[in-house]
Amino acid sequence: MRRLWNDPAWRAEFDRGAREMLPAFPGILAWGLVTGVAMVKSGLSVKLALLMSLLAYAGSAQLAALPLIAASAPIWVIGLTALATNMRFVIYGAAMRRWLTQYSARRLSLLGYLSGDFSFAMFMNRLEKEGPFQYRDAWLFGVTSMNWLIWQVASIAGIVGGAFIPTNWGLQFAGTLALLPLVMPSVRSWAGASGALAAGSVSLMGSAWPYKSGLLAGVVVGIIVATVVDSFASAGAEARS
Amino acid sequence: MNGAATSEVLLAIASLVLATYLTRAGMLLVCDRLSLSRHVEAALRFAPACALTALVLPEVLGPSGALDLSLGNPRWPAALASAVFLLWRNNMLGGIAIGMGVYLLFSLQSSVFGL
Repeated sequence: MRRLWNDPAWRAEFDRGAREMLPAFPGILAWGLVTGVAMVKSGLSVKLALLMSLLAYAGSAQLAALPLIAASAPIWVIGLTALATNMRFVIYGAAMRRWLTQYSARRLSLLGYLSGDFSFAMFMNRLEKEGPFQYRDAWLFGVTSMNWLIWQVASIAGIVGGAFIPTNWGLQFAGTLALLPLVMPSVRSWAGASGALAAGSVSLMGSAWPYKSGLLAGVVVGIIVATVVDSFASAGAEARS
Repeated sequence: MNGAATSEVLLAIASLVLATYLTRAGMLLVCDRLSLSRHVEAALRFAPACALTALVLPEVLGPSGALDLSLGNPRWPAALASAVFLLWRNNMLGGIAIGMGVYLLFSLQSSVFGL
């Protein structure tokens, strides 16, 4: 890692990634704060909450696990719930892997562990715009490290100041708003827009389903709808020309 | 904390770490052994749009679980204002600021006037 860090071209891409992640900070800050508060309010001691925040870097899975931990649920129930809540990252990984095959397993492990919704959407958007750019690992490390840092600062503030932070102000809605600009570029095509609409609708209908399965069903249905619309659109374009 | 002992929480944290690692890094690591068909690769370029909308839409239209398009739900006018702004200027900070502004405005008016 030190060798990479001293390579100016690598560093430049790292810095660029970190800079591009920065505008999302109010959203991540609000989200991290709410998660931090939730951890101490569920009954975790400050020490254990800090440990969970620093090691298990997994917002929605942490929130899903808290009531189970408080109720002393069996460990396999907690593990399976965390797996299920994280299922969308398997799809993200499948989409990203062909662009990252040249990197070592060690680097990919760290990169994968640090990745999240933001880094995935930003990565795919940049590839769509610029094609396979150089130093993809550096840029991704920049994005994910900045995301990690903002999240940890907020989450730790939430853990320490839990008693003084109101959670009913709709703070976490800022996190939802931070995701909006990442959707915008891909809904400008018919295929992307119809896929997104289908994904959102299914996810909304299934929002009460257990283990975030509504979310996962939405993603899968959306991708299928987008692909079908895309094949019709390109068939139509061929017929016209 | 009633119930959960420190050792139980430590085990729970370990299982969270494992689940996070397996789902997020797993697919990146099996790349040599698994080759997806060209159709699947092509379909996956729609994954970001679908995943993010699937995350955002329920939060905006049905924060309490069911579809709520009334003015008592300040999230949908807020998200709409933010989206319109983003179509005009692709500025993330501006989008969050406008969205939160409209959100506060609508929450205040519904709590003051009881709409």
